[in-house]
Amino acid sequence: MGKAVVLRVNGEEYELEVKPQETLLDVIRERLSLTGTKRGCETGDCGACTVIMNHKAVSSCLVLAVEADGAEIVTIEGLAKEGKLHPLQEAFVRHGAVQCGFCTPGMILSAKALLDENKNPTEEEIRRAISGNLCRCTGYTKIVEAIKACSGTL
Amino acid sequence: MEQYSVFGKPLPRIDAWEKVTGEARYLDDIFMPGMLYGKVLRSPHAHARIVRIDTQKAEALRGVRAVITHRDTPGVKFSFFPVFADKLPLCRDKVRYIGDEVAAVAAETAAIAEQALSLIEVEYDLLPAVTDLEEAMKPGAPLVHEDKEKNIAFEGHKSFGDIKKGFADSDYIFEDRYVTSKVAHCCMETHGCIASFDRLGKLTVMMPSQAPHTVRQEIARILDIPRSKVRIVVPAVGGGFGQRLVTDMKVPAAAILSRIARRPVKIVNTREDEFCTARTRYPYIVELKTGVRKDGRILARQARVLIDNGAYNDKGPATLNYAGECFAVLYNVPHVRYDGYGVYTNKQFGTAFRGFGNVQVTFATESQLDEIAEKLGMGPEEIRLKNANKPNELMSCGATVTSCGLVECIRETMKKSGWDEKRKMKTDLGNGWYRGIGMATMVHTGAGGRFYGYAATDTFTKISEDGCITVISPAPEIGQGGKMVVAQITAEVLGVDPSRITVINNDTDIIPYDLGAWGSRTSFVCGNAAKAAAESVKEEIFGAAAKMLQTTPGKLCARDEKIFIDEDPSKAVSFEEAAVYAVSNLGYPLSGKGRYTDPLAPQVGIDKKYGHHLPTFTFACHVVEVEVDSGTGEVKVVKVTAAQDTGRTINRHMAEGQIEGSILQGLGYAISEECVEDGGRMMNPTFADYKIQTAVDAPPYDVILIETDDPDGPFGAKGIGEPALVPLPAAVGNAVYHATGVRFKKLPLNQERVYFSLKKEKG
Repeated sequence: MGKAVVLRVNGEEYELEVKPQETLLDVIRERLSLTGTKRGCETGDCGACTVIMNHKAVSSCLVLAVEADGAEIVTIEGLAKEGKLHPLQEAFVRHGAVQCGFCTPGMILSAKALLDENKNPTEEEIRRAISGNLCRCTGYTKIVEAIKACSGTL
Repeated sequence: MEQYSVFGKPLPRIDAWEKVTGEARYLDDIFMPGMLYGKVLRSPHAHARIVRIDTQKAEALRGVRAVITHRDTPGVKFSFFPVFADKLPLCRDKVRYIGDEVAAVAAETAAIAEQALSLIEVEYDLLPAVTDLEEAMKPGAPLVHEDKEKNIAFEGHKSFGDIKKGFADSDYIFEDRYVTSKVAHCCMETHGCIASFDRLGKLTVMMPSQAPHTVRQEIARILDIPRSKVRIVVPAVGGGFGQRLVTDMKVPAAAILSRIARRPVKIVNTREDEFCTARTRYPYIVELKTGVRKDGRILARQARVLIDNGAYNDKGPATLNYAGECFAVLYNVPHVRYDGYGVYTNKQFGTAFRGFGNVQVTFATESQLDEIAEKLGMGPEEIRLKNANKPNELMSCGATVTSCGLVECIRETMKKSGWDEKRKMKTDLGNGWYRGIGMATMVHTGAGGRFYGYAATDTFTKISEDGCITVISPAPEIGQGGKMVVAQITAEVLGVDPSRITVINNDTDIIPYDLGAWGSRTSFVCGNAAKAAAESVKEEIFGAAAKMLQTTPGKLCARDEKIFIDEDPSKAVSFEEAAVYAVSNLGYPLSGKGRYTDPLAPQVGIDKKYGHHLPTFTFACHVVEVEVDSGTGEVKVVKVTAAQDTGRTINRHMAEGQIEGSILQGLGYAISEECVEDGGRMMNPTFADYKIQTAVDAPPYDVILIETDDPDGPFGAKGIGEPALVPLPAAVGNAVYHATGVRFKKLPLNQERVYFSLKKEKG
């Protein structure tokens, strides 16, 4: 029934047997217990489940686990290293970009994928990069400021 | 030296770290040993009689551990206000909206639970449904609740001054009708719970909640068990906005399933469940009549308000009443009459939502005020300044406004937005584009209310033997910063960094009794209690420090992690040293208790004379700039300038964050969001079809914090979580009118409505 896949998540390799209909989101949350990746809508509309897969931000609810076979995946748990926050995490804290926090992991990962590819994005590029990550609390200003503060520094 | 070393500063929130690392555990992140997955079978019909329910096949499915129907419930009708009780946890004879709870199952996996639902057979006898509020009011309309004579669920009336005289004395009278839409909270975390009964019959419910103590009472009532047998534990909460005040029937369903299966049961809404059943903002029809003198003074105001209640009472009666209170206060109108009716319809029902009725009524009053100003040849700012509330004024309704920054809010938004010049600019940009600028003001409570006859709370604060501080406070954390408010106030009193502080706020077995996060009350009520508790424990640590410095406590000061002699700051000990000294040398730990009491609250229940319901008021003025494309109907919001009376700002980042978030929710309400219903069915239950504002939609905001130093707030602060949403729909409508000359009296100003209206009015 299942299919064996190998996922590299936050630098660690996992060999798993997954069902054909199982999503990457299901696997990350329920099999790997990495619950920092949030389930917001399961239709790819809200961005709460964003992870970085092979250097691109993806909605993990829209990716089947079998499609992720062999992929390099980064979740929010993979950002802080040796007790030190990633600069984006630090900036979100410092700029007051976090309220309820439910969109925060996905938002930070979309920002990371952007900055990994484009070190000095314009405000418009930042807003476009996170336009698939819905936030109901902040009005986005402080999130954009936090991402701007990391431009050119990563 | 600045007056405060911690208070007011834009310091990082103490709960931000766990949120940026993904470590914060929300409800669905919690997995308990043996946990089952619950699902609710909901009515597919807007109105039908239940003829028969057969659960045998579902029960026989492998992996199903419990199936329940109304027979398994105590059958006690519920509503937030017991006097308005009308909802059974699981329907018995009738379903009243598409989504009404009929049965529930618990199984080993969510997939088995889902499959079990499909095996429950329910035979319905369809009834005519009434889904339009005005149709529902007509004689002979189908009755949503057959045991009632009509579909009027509740009424509310207020009368102050002499309305007849007010209109008789007026030079002009304006009458208009405004219609507001149904919108959803859209918390990014959908609602859910894990219920778990122990063998002694004590129920623990984990759930995102903004009022754990009142939810505890509600669940005890529905399950007909003592309150002492219910414990609510609140994990990290992914947004509230009013939606998480009153329990919905998932919680009792999960509890009963848990009692039968003897296992914890988790039920979590899908996004579609959330849109279709999690309850919404109440749509209002407001018939507004206003009398003014030639000079612009408002003499009389009368509103007839119809609320589309949906199938059941929830917070409807309270939003009706509250909106009337604000209606009576803004501009201190001498003669006021307010008559409201909540009307049952066969649709998803409403609940509390940021703004709480006030935003609906303010859309009417502030839209009409612009029309009045135009007729009188006045500017929108002029008529507002003419009527604006002032500090320490007695209102016609009996309330006294204490701190009040309305005039400053209007003047500052005008200055910062370039109001005077922009009002004069050409509005027709050619190519079918128009631009305009509009304003709206509002009043809102800044401190909850005395409606329950109780408005107090306690807080306990301890200093550990290592100098770390724990505050046990009932301040809910739903994203708005309740924990940080408590930490920042405590840190100011004790002269320490907030990072030294842990706040425990999420377990009804631990935290003091409190009414929860609503009415922007947390900063005021829980903030005052936290301040008192910090002052109490400060006496204790000053006792220790005085001994170390061989002085008396009265001569000491606490600041920057030190306790020192005020006259000679070089004589100092560190906060931590003093804490260690107390335990090691004096032989006792340090703790304090603080209480906020509102002595007026027990005297003023909901039915008593108004006037004393709201401990303090907050005011705001928003200026919105728009560009309107008559070719597509798009309303593009270019900028929002918002001034908010904060009393005193506790944390600038958090205050701005509340206002910026409110603005964008308000803009969504004004131009893009709407629960589209057809025959009682929600037609757009996804974020693809229900458009909340994204990062590319959000305009720049200029947020201005006006400090008025409230006499009763902690360090002068008052609550600001809700109010900044309130002026938005009217301000947008006024800006679009300025741009196009077309007045919109119905929300939202979405592309379709704007396009066709402009086409009709302008050709």
